[in-house]
Amino acid sequence: MARDHLMSQFLQATLYGLLQGGVFALVAVGFSLVWGVMNVVNLAHGAFVVAGAYLAFELHSWTGIDPFLSVPVVAVALFALGYLVQRYLVNLVINAPVFITLLLTFGLELVIVNGMIMLFTANYRSIPTGYATTSLALPGDVRLPLGRLIAALLAVGLTLALGYLMRHTRIGLAILATGMDRGAARLMGIKAAHVYALTFGLAVALAGIAGAAVGTIGTFSPADAGRFTLFSFVAAVLGGLGTMSGALYGGLLLGLAEAWGGQLLPGTLVNAVAFAVLVVVLAVRPQGLAGRSFYAARVEV
Amino acid sequence: MRSAAVASVLVLVAAGCGSKGEATDTGAKTGTLTVGASLSLTGSLAREGTLTKEGYQVCQDVVNKKGGVSVGGKKLTLQIQYQDDTSAPDTAGQLVDQFNDKGVRLILGPYGSATTASTAAVVERNGQVMVDSSGADDSIFTKGYKRTFAVLSPATEYAASMVQALYDLANPRPKTLAFVSADDGFSKTATKGGVDKAKQLGFTVVDTEYVPNGTSDVSAALTKLKGKNPDVILGSAHLAEGVAIVKQSKELGITPSGGFAETVAPPTPDFAQTLGPAANGVLGSTQWTVKTTGKDDWFGTASDYATTFKAAFSGREPEYHGAEATAACLVLVLGVQKAGSTEPDKVRDAIAGLDEQSFFGPLKFAPNGENLTKTMAVVQIQNGKPVAVWPKESAEAAMTWPGTTS
Repeated sequence: MARDHLMSQFLQATLYGLLQGGVFALVAVGFSLVWGVMNVVNLAHGAFVVAGAYLAFELHSWTGIDPFLSVPVVAVALFALGYLVQRYLVNLVINAPVFITLLLTFGLELVIVNGMIMLFTANYRSIPTGYATTSLALPGDVRLPLGRLIAALLAVGLTLALGYLMRHTRIGLAILATGMDRGAARLMGIKAAHVYALTFGLAVALAGIAGAAVGTIGTFSPADAGRFTLFSFVAAVLGGLGTMSGALYGGLLLGLAEAWGGQLLPGTLVNAVAFAVLVVVLAVRPQGLAGRSFYAARVEV
Repeated sequence: MRSAAVASVLVLVAAGCGSKGEATDTGAKTGTLTVGASLSLTGSLAREGTLTKEGYQVCQDVVNKKGGVSVGGKKLTLQIQYQDDTSAPDTAGQLVDQFNDKGVRLILGPYGSATTASTAAVVERNGQVMVDSSGADDSIFTKGYKRTFAVLSPATEYAASMVQALYDLANPRPKTLAFVSADDGFSKTATKGGVDKAKQLGFTVVDTEYVPNGTSDVSAALTKLKGKNPDVILGSAHLAEGVAIVKQSKELGITPSGGFAETVAPPTPDFAQTLGPAANGVLGSTQWTVKTTGKDDWFGTASDYATTFKAAFSGREPEYHGAEATAACLVLVLGVQKAGSTEPDKVRDAIAGLDEQSFFGPLKFAPNGENLTKTMAVVQIQNGKPVAVWPKESAEAAMTWPGTTS
């Protein structure tokens, strides 16, 4: 009896950790893309996630549209926002040392977060749906929460789609080429400013989609922006930069580490466990789980 | 790297250049009573910080509308100056120090126990006086401070009052309780008070799990206590964790037969809004309800206060954050009037000797600065709104039991 129970507890923790990892991956994939391609550590990423959550929330309260169905609208709106931010703001300092882009995106984060506090107040919100917190009962008293399942599937689907986009379309190849060697890409007729803006737009759109998902399964307020950026940072570094699937692996590992750590150790050490995993991975495999080293050797012109 | 160093030196220099030396006597000459408040207007506690500010604002409006604070035959206009501490305790301490440099010696507390603890030390050192509206952690009051007074019941009462309410009102009475606690000082103190009370009243505490403060994922703690089948899950946590406890319990198929009880989350309007129908039946503890007994000259009864508050904020119902802030401001006003002076030492002595009834309940301070004469109330979310159910004499409705919803 006791063993059955422990088994069920372990399976439940594992399943929940994997789903939670899927959510982390969804939040992190855009962050990883921008870092990998442009070498910009976008500290405003979490703020874009929260912005996506607010947009989905507002769409839901105006029109009653399901937050997961509003994903295309949120994605298009945030793509446009991201494109403009990169084209007319980040591109201005793209050649400056990484310290400057850090400062810029940090400032951007402050502006967006405080703008959202003014617009939406600092109240906690959640997008209400009938199904997000319901769960399917699996054998052995293990539950499969529906909202998280959808979010995790969305993460896997988007990662695969992004991988396909990068390898098999002209835009994707242009993005990859610019990421590897901007000078050579320009010589081949690629407009780097446009490609960078496309990349950033794509990343912000992904952040917005993640926002719609986390806004449905959990709570959010402008103050959560920093937390999402932190998750993204850890997941991206764990997974490794330079491949589209890096954030997915990183997110899943982070989710599992937190779930198992939470079962074996006192619950307050959950964050410590996550960072310990990060330290170990970086010590053993500095390029991350799926990272490639050629990105480190890229040519900056 | 070098530019980082230069930047940080600049910031340090700028921060160090507070205007010293123009310490005037709290504006007595100009006919205003200037009071300082460092509040979490941005950052992780922005929500609660703003609610606190509203309470201070109501106090300022009402006091000034009634002619101001009478000191030595003069009427002073109450003017509260706000600074944003970005929810950072260190910053709150610095801001209160800056108030002192500017000659502002009377302070209204920041939001939360961590910021209050850091400002209380500064207040003590500078010889200022602070009335604390929301720092409930008992540890603030074990350091021998003489210049910080809290209007609210201490942290140990938050969960204990709900345990008592379960004991008094729940029928059938639950047997087993499990605690899920955030790991900040306030929540841990509240949990300890609750566990002690539960044992004293004969409940079995089957599990106590701690989660990181402010987390929105408490699944690990819930998974661990699932197999122990508690009759009631008591959360000692803030809003984010409090909402997560109910949401994730549902996801994980955890259905305690008596339902949930949580310290500070249920009385805030966001709790019921965020959870929808899942919030119904959840118990919460609160410093104040519209049924709180007591009355004072400035604000009348609790329900008079509610009317005033609603008029000021376009019909929105007051909740305890605002009320405790107003009560703190009231204590300062009463102290100044009783002292007949804005001199911090005299105001301190006057506040220490206060024994007044108010819309917030009794205002009377123990030697360590805690308001021990006041009791907490327990609310239950019924039809999406928190209603007072305990103590019985100031209840708005009977407790629905078990507190589980359809």
